[in-house]
Amino acid sequence: MLDLESRARIVGRRLRPRRLYNWELSAGLTIVGLLLLAALLAPYLAPYQPNQVSVLDSLQPPSWHHWMGTDFVGRDVWSRVLYGLRIDMLVVAVITYLGLIVGVVVGTVAGYVGGWLDAIIGRLADTVIAFPFIVLVLAVIAIVGPGLKGVAIGVIIAGWALYARLARSEMMVLREQPFMMATKALGYSHLRAIFRHALPNLVRTSLVYSTVDVVVNMLVLAGMSYLGLGQQAPGADLGSIIASGQGYLLSAWWITTIPGAVLVLFGFGVSLIGDGVTRGGLAMEAL
Amino acid sequence: MTGESMLQVRDLTKRFVLRRSVGEWVRRQPGETHAAVNAVSFDLARGEILGLAGGSGSGKTTLARMLIRLVEPDDGSIVLGGLDVRALRGHDLREVRRRMQMVFQDPYSSLNPRLSVGAAIHEAGRVHHQPGSEDAGPFVARLLDLVRLPAAAAARHPRELSGGQRQRVAVARALAVGPEVLIADEAVSALDVSIQTQLLNLFLDLRDELGLAMLFVAHQLSVIAEVCDRVAIMHLGEIVEIGPTAEVFHSPQAPYTRTLLAAHPRPMALADATDPEPT
Repeated sequence: MLDLESRARIVGRRLRPRRLYNWELSAGLTIVGLLLLAALLAPYLAPYQPNQVSVLDSLQPPSWHHWMGTDFVGRDVWSRVLYGLRIDMLVVAVITYLGLIVGVVVGTVAGYVGGWLDAIIGRLADTVIAFPFIVLVLAVIAIVGPGLKGVAIGVIIAGWALYARLARSEMMVLREQPFMMATKALGYSHLRAIFRHALPNLVRTSLVYSTVDVVVNMLVLAGMSYLGLGQQAPGADLGSIIASGQGYLLSAWWITTIPGAVLVLFGFGVSLIGDGVTRGGLAMEAL
Repeated sequence: MTGESMLQVRDLTKRFVLRRSVGEWVRRQPGETHAAVNAVSFDLARGEILGLAGGSGSGKTTLARMLIRLVEPDDGSIVLGGLDVRALRGHDLREVRRRMQMVFQDPYSSLNPRLSVGAAIHEAGRVHHQPGSEDAGPFVARLLDLVRLPAAAAARHPRELSGGQRQRVAVARALAVGPEVLIADEAVSALDVSIQTQLLNLFLDLRDELGLAMLFVAHQLSVIAEVCDRVAIMHLGEIVEIGPTAEVFHSPQAPYTRTLLAAHPRPMALADATDPEPT
């Protein structure tokens, strides 16, 4: 029996690619892409060394020599913003996605195994989530000491829990799906079932959520640097540049405003990507 | 057609504990239990298709799942080719699951939406080091051919296929590990009638070509009548009647079987379908 009907239908039926792109996604990718490019090319784009002091040129307004002016010791703000963006983007990406990886793996395993392991991980995650985020980060900095390392460790310790909870609840749903039962019936190992069959089907929620998290972490990082707990002087990062210009807000607005605007632009771009992915995601639900 | 007995099931029982009341919990009394499957026994021979019929909640699916220990039995024994299935763990359990494969009811959720047809089939064979599985292309093509799908289907994802095609892929994936027993848990119930017939023919062909033993769980008696050599009627967790399909449908002995047959829209058609075919 050749079942011609089935053959004809398989050959004839190829779904058209669905629309994954929309203006939010394009605009967001453009903004973040340009910022990323600027950060990556900082050594080539920056006209001055970020820490090059030139007291004679202090507090210059934006001009052809200094696009974004200079700060109180004459450092070029444009150069410092480029290098600051470089370190901030790197740190934010690392802390957000390390947290995501840890959280998703832990949550998926908890949801898959269930029982007492799930109970312990679940309560641990609840405890971390119930703790005020900033307070937790500050507590870790108090232990590790000020600097980007302290902020990074603090954000990861505080950040994994939400991903763990998201992944765990998705895993609970997935676990009842026949194709997950089939992995058992087919005699697949637990590792295979978790990493090849479950993870790819639940990671998307966490990825969408991570676009919110990136913005939050960027602000936390800048905030900590602003408080003097993150990037230490004379290193440049958006938060520390803003803090350094605080005393000159009325006489030299550019020191605080321009890095602040870059921060807002970054957050705006990432949020657009999140919206775009969510909307495009609905179109590729079946993927 | 049927050969020696492969699978012996004796007194298989599954009890679900109902929620205990506070009083019972305080007094540490065991909760009330409900036997979903109660002391069920049957044999399955090589090349035989045994139907498992019964109303909703009669324990058909629980029974089927217990055989490969997707649900842990509470009592009784399952013996496959001399191996005590209930005593196995780890690698041995995986091996016995390989020998008894299952096709699930819903072809829309029994395939991982992210894996292509070819990847899903190849993975199953490779995990169990099936002969020929080192070479994905020919291996997948052979299995697709076995379920009458063109080799081109390998590149497709489940969402691009119809229900009947997906169910064929699920069958191919089950066959990829080289099973001796195929458990079809309502495998055609979600499909429309014309597709059902094609799949039933496929199951019959596979039995003849591969000498598979099959446990065919279905609530539709007409489906059972078409493919099964013997049929077991389940009611409230027990097998109330078991015997050759024609005999059971022609002269039912248990009262419940009579009720079940009478509830079928055309009871006579069932008996006719089971008549030996004129040669």
